Amino acid sequence: MADKMAVKINGKEVTVDENVSALNVLTDDEQQVPSVCYHPSLGAIETCDTCIVEKNGELVRACSSGVSRGDEFNTVSKDVKDAQKIAIDRILYNHELYCTVCDYNNGNCEIHNAVKEMKIEHQSVPFEPKPYDKDRNSFYRYDPDQCILCGRCVEACQDVQVTETLTIDWEREQPRVIWDNDVPIEESSCVSCGHCSTVCPCNAMMETGMEGEAGYMTGMNEDTLRPLIDITKGVETGYSSILAVSDMEASMRDSRIDKTKTVCTYCGVGCSFDVWTKGRDILKIEPQQEAPANGISTCVKGKFGWDFVNSEERLTKPLIREGQMFREAEWTEALELIKQKFTDIKEEHGADALSFISSSKCTNEESYLMQKLARGVIGTNNIDNCSRYCQSPATMGLFRTVGYGGDSGSITDIEQSELIITVGSNTSESHPVLSTRVKSSHKLHGQKLIVSDLRKHEMAQRSDLFIRPESGTDLIWLSAVTKYIVDQGWAAESFLEQNVNGVEHYKETLAPYTMEYASEMTGVSQEDLIRTAEMIHEAGSVCILWAMGVTQHQGGSDTSTAISNLLLITGNYGRPGTGAYPLRGHNNVQGASDFGSMPDRFPGYQFVSNDEVRSRFEEAWQADIPKEKGLNNHEMVEAIHEGKLKSMYLKGEDMGIVDSNINYVHGAFEKLDFFVVQDLFLTTTAQFADVVLPASPSLEKDGTFTNTERRIQRLYQALEPLGDSRPDWKIIMDIANQLDAGWKYDHPSEIMAEAASLTPLFAGVTYEKLEGYKSLQWPVHADGTDEPMLFAERFPFEDGRARLYPVEWTEPVQYEEEYDLQVNNGRLLEHFHEGNMTYQSEGITRGTPRAFVEVSPQLAKERSLSDGTVVRLISPYGAVKLPCLVTERVQKKEVYIPLNDDGDGAVNRLTSSYADKDTDTPAYKEVRVKMEVLEEGGTSPLPKINHRFGNPQPQVGVQVEKKWQRSDYTFPGDVVKGEDR
Amino acid sequence: MAEKIQHIKKQEPSEEEQRARDLREIEDALIDNKEVILKSLSTLQHADDRGVISLLHGLFADGDKVLQVLAETMNNEENTKAIRHLLLLMGIAGKLDVEKIEPLLLKFNEGLRRAGEAGDTEEKTGYMDLVKSLKDPEVNRAITLLLTFLKGMGQETEQDMKTGGESPD
Repeated sequence: MADKMAVKINGKEVTVDENVSALNVLTDDEQQVPSVCYHPSLGAIETCDTCIVEKNGELVRACSSGVSRGDEFNTVSKDVKDAQKIAIDRILYNHELYCTVCDYNNGNCEIHNAVKEMKIEHQSVPFEPKPYDKDRNSFYRYDPDQCILCGRCVEACQDVQVTETLTIDWEREQPRVIWDNDVPIEESSCVSCGHCSTVCPCNAMMETGMEGEAGYMTGMNEDTLRPLIDITKGVETGYSSILAVSDMEASMRDSRIDKTKTVCTYCGVGCSFDVWTKGRDILKIEPQQEAPANGISTCVKGKFGWDFVNSEERLTKPLIREGQMFREAEWTEALELIKQKFTDIKEEHGADALSFISSSKCTNEESYLMQKLARGVIGTNNIDNCSRYCQSPATMGLFRTVGYGGDSGSITDIEQSELIITVGSNTSESHPVLSTRVKSSHKLHGQKLIVSDLRKHEMAQRSDLFIRPESGTDLIWLSAVTKYIVDQGWAAESFLEQNVNGVEHYKETLAPYTMEYASEMTGVSQEDLIRTAEMIHEAGSVCILWAMGVTQHQGGSDTSTAISNLLLITGNYGRPGTGAYPLRGHNNVQGASDFGSMPDRFPGYQFVSNDEVRSRFEEAWQADIPKEKGLNNHEMVEAIHEGKLKSMYLKGEDMGIVDSNINYVHGAFEKLDFFVVQDLFLTTTAQFADVVLPASPSLEKDGTFTNTERRIQRLYQALEPLGDSRPDWKIIMDIANQLDAGWKYDHPSEIMAEAASLTPLFAGVTYEKLEGYKSLQWPVHADGTDEPMLFAERFPFEDGRARLYPVEWTEPVQYEEEYDLQVNNGRLLEHFHEGNMTYQSEGITRGTPRAFVEVSPQLAKERSLSDGTVVRLISPYGAVKLPCLVTERVQKKEVYIPLNDDGDGAVNRLTSSYADKDTDTPAYKEVRVKMEVLEEGGTSPLPKINHRFGNPQPQVGVQVEKKWQRSDYTFPGDVVKGEDR
Repeated sequence: MAEKIQHIKKQEPSEEEQRARDLREIEDALIDNKEVILKSLSTLQHADDRGVISLLHGLFADGDKVLQVLAETMNNEENTKAIRHLLLLMGIAGKLDVEKIEPLLLKFNEGLRRAGEAGDTEEKTGYMDLVKSLKDPEVNRAITLLLTFLKGMGQETEQDMKTGGESPD
């Protein structure tokens, strides 16, 4: 609790918290203080001057004024009102009020509301257009004539998103927002994250989806609109009447625009926001401050990447294979066929001839039902999900050492940590919103950043220390740094003594990891390794973030373990700002495994082999469940080739593109007797199916997702399922009931209730506790309390103590000498996975039309490559054909291939079937190829409008001092006081 | 053995099937809304009798053009002033305190009635008559009332004005 103190507000004594701004104190006291530029998520910006109040007789901006004991505030004096009036006049000079025909007139326009609250009837200085045109890109537009120069967009761009594109040029006669060094939006470094349009208090920065759509009268031609605006202004007798009419129009909009809370369907950060829909049209995504993971933040995909939902390519009817084509069919026929085939195959070959694959795109409830169908209805543990492709090794590493396979804390812990280390994570492109917290803390609050990666991506460019170990050698440098810390006597001995087992033995196993050895094997200088150790030692709190660069290796689980070991040795668990953060890649990668779509575990990571657990589920489901663990994805593909597995039911996963060595996987699909695929589109995988079932995406259903913070969040249905498509949970239930299971779920909340009743990890989870923007971070105890930060009290082992788990380095896959290039692969910011959702966005595809291969300037010189040169890359497993992009992000003989291509450029044509030895996660990152030049001198695969060609202009905030220094600026308080004299 | 295929044979109902389905849907809607449809039809009949339908037809058929002409026509000073005055008058009407005005009006009426009865008269009122009249309670009440009214009228009201100041455009 903050300390309390007494102040006087308008003569009345009030008790207030310490360390809050005057504005907060006054608004908490329900004083009407306008505050147009102030935004709680951005803090005081001080550009608009509307919040001027009297503090101890002085006129001050309330937003930036502190409060001390005994301060006297006046919010009603004539001077205060006069000063505020001057401020709002200056705003209206910059902003034309035509509210009724404005798309932003939705009840939340802050200028409108301020004018109304202040009872302004007229302005003293008339509005004047600025000498600039509107500017736009595919996603938003800027109207200088409506821009009040409050600087919120600049603050958000510079200090929250930290892309550093926007500034206000205060020095020109008519200031305006500019992009980079004053270039059109499309030619700038803008990543279209949407922060600016989200925080804009008016219609200056607006989503293009809103234009002409939100209002009843906003869709008309400019020719008609202009006279109408003039009429409105001509007839008005003062602003109150115009505002009354626009208020009426705004309330009418409520009846046709729905605002529904949803959770993003892309990466694992778990952004939640309102989606505004009008019929099936998606007008905009409106982030909310109260959203627990992201607040006001989004990336381009979450803010603008929703076109796929209404794509004409969506499947709207079940498809049944018939000769050389699919035939659209009715549900009854498709379900009957599935029943018949499942039953036949089970009778002939046994239940273990069938297999089931859940999706990390689907909800927790759907993951639960899929494994219930497999185990409880069919009777097999052959159930897995796609976290097998990415994060199982991280989970393994954490299970070994600290007992819970999830992020140790919350995004706020990452934000407040003193040192962030990222290993094999392209955070700003793969987990954009999470990366903004690091970028922001690093820029503004002295957070240190160490990046270990092959590529010099944005995070590397921003880091304090960037190391580039040889591919697959992270375990070595991590262990060497750990050893150095131990040798220096910097280990957190008292933490280890109280909380950790196996300390002495572990320290002994570190013996081989000398600085000399590590430097030789990883190529990182001893100096940098020592510096790393020193920075860890000097930091009061450390978070380590890692991703696929660690896990997608043969030693992925071991390297993840080494990370956790390092954190244990240095005592970086169980305190705010510390811990292990395996960044989950999909919206529900965490939940897919949490809710039991794993071959050896029930929901909540309870072992299938445990008799007590199994009988609990058997009793609840009235079914016999096999005791032996089933096959994982990787083993399923093998079992198909071996002829043991006959049927697969796969949902929401383009396994034929995203699994490694896809030529081998395609071969397996062809051998299946019966293959059911459930998806939004006829994906590459679905093209092999016998029956394709049309599913509904997140916007068309209710349910919950669990993000990388272990945070369970609800999504609400915003749209009706398209055509005859159905939410996955309904389809699974339909299939189960076709097989006489007799399931009766009317709503996903009932599925969650059942899962919670059988799973101690989620004991207290209910839909009521998750209402709206509320969320729970597991473990959720029966009384409903959750654990945003793990391990504060104990580690979840019987003795409550963590374990140091010795690991050894596994050499990456070795290739013949002719395969002379190292292939790295991963995401791009603007596309997701194979791209079957994001390529549906015209705007995204305009800026980033296709995959490519990044080559270093050295390699380009050596092989005469330039932007657009088409090359064939050949591995022992297959080949891809891609155009080159020459960039310094990669060096020497390393190339980088974004994974967003499902055709000739699909990177998994190159990858092998080698996998993590402990979890079978494919070693996607252990690929080497040789290169053939096919065509020289093509055009660059990235058009000039791609943000990567921009020139960011870093600065802190909007630099309001420059506004104050202008000769035409006088503080309204001084104007008023001057008049008094 | 299931090879990759991309071709989808869409379930496209034949033209007749689709037509039958659509007709059925319309029929259902008609039956479900019988009452209101019959009423609407008769309303439309009346409207057509008076030529409203063709008027509306023209209006909607060229909606944007008409709206533009309308907007441009309205958008001249006289018209906007007229609407503005109307709005102002409405504002004032809303501010009138009828409860207080009622007794005044009654009194005013009575005055008018007597004045009417007296008709045009040759009788003159001298200064002394005036002073004497002040003793007449009826006259005294009327004068006091008038003075109070004049006082109120002289009070500063600029702060409540909507027509003054800079025009907001």
